Amino acid sequence: MSMFSVLEISGSALSAERQRAEIVAANMANAETTHTPGGGPYRRKEVVFASSGNLPFRMMLAGFHPGGNNMIPAVRVQRVVDDSTPPLKRYEPGHPDADKEGYVAYPAINPVQEMVDLMGAVRSYQLNASAITASKQMIQQSIELIK
Amino acid sequence: MNDISTPTMNLLEKALDVTAQRQQLVVANMANVDTPGYQTKDIDFRSELQHAASNDPANFLPVVRSVHGLLERPDGNNVSMDREGLLLAETQMQFGLGVQLLRHEFQNLLSAINEGSKA
Repeated sequence: MSMFSVLEISGSALSAERQRAEIVAANMANAETTHTPGGGPYRRKEVVFASSGNLPFRMMLAGFHPGGNNMIPAVRVQRVVDDSTPPLKRYEPGHPDADKEGYVAYPAINPVQEMVDLMGAVRSYQLNASAITASKQMIQQSIELIK
Repeated sequence: MNDISTPTMNLLEKALDVTAQRQQLVVANMANVDTPGYQTKDIDFRSELQHAASNDPANFLPVVRSVHGLLERPDGNNVSMDREGLLLAETQMQFGLGVQLLRHEFQNLLSAINEGSKA
């Protein structure tokens, strides 16, 4: 049923945007983390979105073939990358993670940037949620034809 | 076409098909609103409906085009939330209209059957 695969596309966007919001939350929560299991301060993370035409949903239109231009792409988080910005150094000689000169490496996280990213994720989530509402209504209307 | 369906019904059925396909593309555009390099996709409703009406529905292939003339962001994505929101509402209304007209056709058919049984 082609109408139902629409919900899968919107659903893929919802989960991708949710993951983006989770990463932003992790960045903000770890804004002052100087100690990680891998050593060094926390590194800011970012999601990379990619569209995928041949993933979980079925190809719904005849003539659609994977790899061609004619496919309806869902979205997925391709990978989560570390921000390469060098850590910020603060002079705190008493800190346990301070280096020999007394500087502590803090993650380079800008709260404003994170908030803007979070707002973007929330807006995109809302956009796709309203798309689901519209699709649901259309499916409902088709079902009402047989009443 | 069989004995019971009217030409109007067949055309409405195709119109609903094309509307549903267009809605799928709008939804896909919305899903990819943050995907770098993604280009907005759409179908031309009028030409696709004409094509669908004049051909056998079994081998109907809609032509999916990239939409040009939209503002492209630095990451190569040109999805406009406003355009897609508007189109979503439009396809939704169009689909509702098609469904209502189809219901009306069915009711006409039903009344023809019922009136016949009274005579």
